Amino acid sequence: MLSLVPYRLSNGLQVVLNEDHSAPLVAVNLWYHVGSKNERPGRTGFAHLFEHMLFSGSEHVGNNEHFRYVQSVGGVLNGSTFFDRTNYFETLPSQYLALGLWLESDRMGFFLPALTQEKLDIQREVVKEERRQHYDNVPYGTAFERLLNLAFDPDYSYHWPTIGSMEDLGTASLDDVRAFFSTWYRPDNCVLTVVGDFVAAEARRLVDDYFGDIAPAGQFPPFDLVRREARSERREVHPSRVPLPRIYRIYHLPRMGDRDWVAGDLLSTVLTSDKASRLERALVYEQQIANDVAAYVLPTEATGMLMLHATAKEGVEIERLEQAIDAELERLAGGRISADELTRAKNRAEVDHAHQLENYDARADFIGMLTTYFNDPERISTWMDPYRAATADDLLRVAQQSLVPENRVTSIFVPEGP
Amino acid sequence: MSIDRTTAPSPGTPRPYRFPVVHRKKLDNGLRVLVAEMHNAPLVAIRGLICSGADRDTAELAGLASMTAELLDEGAGTRDAIRLAEDLGLLGASLASGSDWDASYVSADVLSRNFEPAMEIFADVLCRPALPDSALQRVRSERLMDLLQQREEPSAIAGKRFSNLLYGSGTYGNTVLGTPESVPRLKIDDVRRFYAQHYIANNAAIVIAGDIDAEQAVRQVTRLFSPWKSGPEPHRPRISPAPIDRSKIYLVDRPNAVQSEIRIGHIGVARNCDDYFPLTVMNALLGGVFNSRINLNLRERHGYTYGARSAFAFRRQAGPFVVSAPVRNEVTHHSLGEVLEELRRIRTGAVETRELEDTRSYLAGVFPATVQSASDIAGRLVDMEVFGLPHDYFDHYRENIAAVTAKDVTEVANKYIDPDRVLIVIVGNATQIREPLGGLGLPIHDLDVDGKIA
Repeated sequence: MLSLVPYRLSNGLQVVLNEDHSAPLVAVNLWYHVGSKNERPGRTGFAHLFEHMLFSGSEHVGNNEHFRYVQSVGGVLNGSTFFDRTNYFETLPSQYLALGLWLESDRMGFFLPALTQEKLDIQREVVKEERRQHYDNVPYGTAFERLLNLAFDPDYSYHWPTIGSMEDLGTASLDDVRAFFSTWYRPDNCVLTVVGDFVAAEARRLVDDYFGDIAPAGQFPPFDLVRREARSERREVHPSRVPLPRIYRIYHLPRMGDRDWVAGDLLSTVLTSDKASRLERALVYEQQIANDVAAYVLPTEATGMLMLHATAKEGVEIERLEQAIDAELERLAGGRISADELTRAKNRAEVDHAHQLENYDARADFIGMLTTYFNDPERISTWMDPYRAATADDLLRVAQQSLVPENRVTSIFVPEGP
Repeated sequence: MSIDRTTAPSPGTPRPYRFPVVHRKKLDNGLRVLVAEMHNAPLVAIRGLICSGADRDTAELAGLASMTAELLDEGAGTRDAIRLAEDLGLLGASLASGSDWDASYVSADVLSRNFEPAMEIFADVLCRPALPDSALQRVRSERLMDLLQQREEPSAIAGKRFSNLLYGSGTYGNTVLGTPESVPRLKIDDVRRFYAQHYIANNAAIVIAGDIDAEQAVRQVTRLFSPWKSGPEPHRPRISPAPIDRSKIYLVDRPNAVQSEIRIGHIGVARNCDDYFPLTVMNALLGGVFNSRINLNLRERHGYTYGARSAFAFRRQAGPFVVSAPVRNEVTHHSLGEVLEELRRIRTGAVETRELEDTRSYLAGVFPATVQSASDIAGRLVDMEVFGLPHDYFDHYRENIAAVTAKDVTEVANKYIDPDRVLIVIVGNATQIREPLGGLGLPIHDLDVDGKIA
């Protein structure tokens, strides 16, 4: 059983310590509860651009020095941005815990003095290259963006991906960066998780020293999210430079952690995970009309999504593949899920969860997620309970309610004409 | 209470890292067995290693090694493919197989409470695969689709063209998957012959790491794998790289591309090269880590790219040295110029003390963070077997890195990097990038996506 020490500083910073001496390492992980969902139309991509800026130095840490400090002692580090959160993390040899806390507290409390127009201009270009590399210059690269556009209304915060649009990236100003930092990068909007080889009382003293005097915001802009009521399918066919047609779908689900989201997670494993799973077996193994098929749920806070995509083999009409997918989904919803199928899905979830706790860095990130989204780090010990309790009927209910045309959006990529 | 924020806090007392104890055994049939206990998660990583990879393929049947590996789980022992997947799933095991240039691998991660029954299936997959013709037909067609998809992926095109120009159609010159010409030629008899020649106990190793009792695991492996046949050492073809008389640019046009995928390099060295440690330090400093010269130059100073890197592909024979970067169209020639300049500068001997110290301490210190999981440990043990590294390799890794001097860095840079004889492959929007590239004074050859002179 993992032993957690959760507490809160007087400035609102939530801290979770997890002492574990099996390796001489310490993982320092911060979740700021801000992501692309806090952006507005016309200002997309900002949370992620901001993440880049936070590596460009702070009052006591020079440009590129954050990376240097961590790497030069044998540490690894990164950050990432998603709809609902931005995280920053480093894994260090354990004697460098104070270094990690110093670096993170400096950019939380003393970022603005080091900000310059030149740094912003460079990172803006870097992020545009990131967008080109992962979205605009590769086959199917814009699929997720197109699906989100279909799945959520334009003023709804999941309507755009975290990378943002080229146009919006171009307009982000230094004042925007300052305002974004002052609004969101505050101790009372952050969870600091430390996992590894330290003594809790000592770590607690260090956290107090480095973070205790950073001023809180007190309040944050409200986030009102009204889930789009699914009435009918939205779909599109998108001719582009791709060799094979591919169908992409999002099915709406409840938010992550809800009982039906968990059932949706298990259901996605029943659908695609190995040759014995429903869609892989039918489409890839038996009918041999798909080259690949994958289904998985996204770890999103405001509302849930199940992604599904499948690539048609050369010469197979995408309509035929789509009909075969729908036939399998109907067969599943109208039939039964065997005890073995359910056990296999649960086993896979158990292995994934064990992997999540195995490394200090993944475990710290998971604790940060539980604390940020559910205000409950101790949920780590009960996270698997709904998985264990799920029944075949739960999966069927979710299949019947959620895997239906009126609850989905579909984007079909087809090869463009010559 | 106030603390001094103006300088980095000093470290505490370092705590020692110890690589797990490795239990080794060589069976009578020549099979090597390596087992390491790790009890921080209820998981076991099982790896089967066959020391034959795509390096054993002929040009005619390129892709055969990886095809053989991929077919291993299409039925084995008494189970057909579906039953195999079902039974593994019931044990909480997921199995994968494939090849790289040096070896073929079967891997399974399993809940430790099911280790023993999972190991039985694992032994079937390695020693008693069905290799059915129906599966070959299906996987062959899937692979042709994968190759078709890669024809539109800029980084895949750049990688293939670079390898092909460097090594021709021989070893390392194709991809591990084979080519659209070779894959249709693969027949089930070829697969079965490859299996019979290479999947022999004395060409293999079993590696297990995780939440198990080591001695018990060794006993079980001994029981399961002792009947496995051994055989004559299979032949390994030699690489035949083409000499490069001068630097030249090969341009693959992708109309409408918004980025150029750049590859710059030439042949490197084999993994067992005596200069491995100085080379590793030199490359990390040049382009191997985030704070390396090439990435800081192209990304952080100029904003040309999301990331640029250099790498020596250390294989059993000399793999390539290559710098890779995707950059936007307008700065393609600038990026190329900057990389070539960095390749010259690393040879001049102007290595700063700080960058050398940072790089060495990174490489020496990062090791524990990269071996946290059972699967990480298994991966390191597999590497030791693939490249025949000494048993105490990881015990001396840090001191070997720490011993590298500035002089060593300069020496290996001069010995192994030659900026005047590099192959440059650029996959991008020729209309926009060709003319500025001309300013670099290097010959430009046009290639199509398949490598034919356009």
